[in-house]
Amino acid sequence: MIEVRGLGKTYRTHRKAPGLWGSVRGLFRREHVEKHAVVDVSFDVGPGEIVGLVGPNGAGKTTVVKMLAGIVHPTTGHIRVLDHEPWKRDNAFRSRIALVMGQKQQLWWDLPAADSFDLLREIYRIPRERYKATLDELVEALAVGPYLTVPVRRLSLGERMRMELVAALLHRPDVVFLDEPTIGLDLTAQRAIREFLLDYQRRVQPAVILTSHYMEDIERLCPRILILREGRIVFDGPLREIHARYAETKRITAQRSIGAGADPAADLGTWPADLGEVLTCTPDVVTVSVPRARVAQAAQLLLSRLTVIDLAIQEEDIGTVIERIYQGQTGDGA
Amino acid sequence: MRPRLFLAVTAQQVRRSMAYRVDFWISSTAGFVTTFGLAWCVWTAVFASAGSNEIRGWTLDGMLLYMVVVVLLGRVVRGGDIDMTISNEIYQGGLNRYLVFPVSYQPFKYAQAVGTLLPALVQLALFCAIFLLVVGRPADIAITPFGVLGAIAAMAVGHVLYFLLGYPLELVAFWADNVWSLAVTLRFVTTLLGGMMIPLALFPGWAQDVLAFTPFPILYAVPAETLLGRMDPALWARHMVVALVWCVIVQRIGTWVWRRGSLQYSGVGM
Repeated sequence: MIEVRGLGKTYRTHRKAPGLWGSVRGLFRREHVEKHAVVDVSFDVGPGEIVGLVGPNGAGKTTVVKMLAGIVHPTTGHIRVLDHEPWKRDNAFRSRIALVMGQKQQLWWDLPAADSFDLLREIYRIPRERYKATLDELVEALAVGPYLTVPVRRLSLGERMRMELVAALLHRPDVVFLDEPTIGLDLTAQRAIREFLLDYQRRVQPAVILTSHYMEDIERLCPRILILREGRIVFDGPLREIHARYAETKRITAQRSIGAGADPAADLGTWPADLGEVLTCTPDVVTVSVPRARVAQAAQLLLSRLTVIDLAIQEEDIGTVIERIYQGQTGDGA
Repeated sequence: MRPRLFLAVTAQQVRRSMAYRVDFWISSTAGFVTTFGLAWCVWTAVFASAGSNEIRGWTLDGMLLYMVVVVLLGRVVRGGDIDMTISNEIYQGGLNRYLVFPVSYQPFKYAQAVGTLLPALVQLALFCAIFLLVVGRPADIAITPFGVLGAIAAMAVGHVLYFLLGYPLELVAFWADNVWSLAVTLRFVTTLLGGMMIPLALFPGWAQDVLAFTPFPILYAVPAETLLGRMDPALWARHMVVALVWCVIVQRIGTWVWRRGSLQYSGVGM
């Protein structure tokens, strides 16, 4: 459904020296710099798949999405989406995709969303009956009925984003690009959009590419992720593989019984250096970070030294692991 | 572009134009009153100092009516001042939506430009009516069916041509950080050479001969003079042919610039 091979994008921008003299010089001569936003990116996405595209700011996520949607022309490589080259912008291609950009308004700001939806019906040539059915379904699922006749500029960010989703899905696209759809939203609005996307994907099965800085979006929605760093893909695989490949530690939390000694540090004694480090040590709870290979040994030691009523072994926070990958601190070339 | 879609885009733009009612009336009234007031002062002084009732076939009343008509027709031809929208969409990323929609950008923008006509047409009718009520119809003006229909046709072609002239200039925004000066230059050049500041009959003969082959007279002078019964059908037809040829030329230029420019587009942000 989506096939990307050796994709690259280089932007050429000019640089202006600071100060008045720099401005005067800039009138006659400009220095240009090249920025390689995307370098040799290759991946495939199958029908009905949701893929998360993550990376720090400036990693090239949005540029990849824009190239897939046909907005930006690639410098190198090739892309096939639904058997079309996006850059050619055939109407047959554009009728089957949708793009939602959290930081860019797609709806017309000064009109009620209902007016924009009517125009979209005409743009996508959606039969009236199907349009009405789809609109009713989306409006109900996203609970935006009361806001349809309010000018978009008067809506809150959360309401606006939900309207953007209605607009993007009215024509039932086969491929949906979501570029930071939850950016700036409060937790409730984020959750509502995530739940909607999960439900929609389950029912309609479009291929989805999602970029987000919120790990919860990625964890809840994307079984597979692509991690971009400085324009290159450094990981492409199932989310669960991230821990197996890159997490170095696990966290063991021991809940102590009521009435246990008031000085847990004394009970715990000296924690062996090869079993990681003690993170917290309170009368109720002791938490240690342990190398993945030594979890059983560490758990045994905790049970033997403390009176424990509950023991939890948790993976390292996924966000922390991915952040280490962003920073190239994973030690395996990623 | 499909006629149904064209109409839908136009209807949407009409609604958008009406969304800011106060701004609409203040800007249009202020613009008209200022321009007409200036013309009234200048031409009253010119006729007074010339000591004549007529300058190159124009009386003072005829000249003032020409100014009223040309200012109002000008608003229609310029599409209700939508300049800079295309360049702003390039700078701010609003272009993204049109690149994702299964539509062609240029016809879509033209349909929007047509949508801004309705308010300008309402103003045209309203201010003309006020002028005729206050000043009355000058004796040397004859409004005929050909005059009305010919002016409407010339205005329609002028509207297309003005849009097509501005389009490639705005697309320069793909390369340049600011195209405001180009838009202003287009406005000045068309205002002067299109006959909005003074009737083209007041230009030297050789300049009138050259201007007849440029895209400018159709924008303001031809519709206004046709409406006021000051243009014979043969000359009107020649102006229309010249304008249509220019439409084809600048449309091709616009398509070429779009092809080149959209290769540069970054969609705002990297």
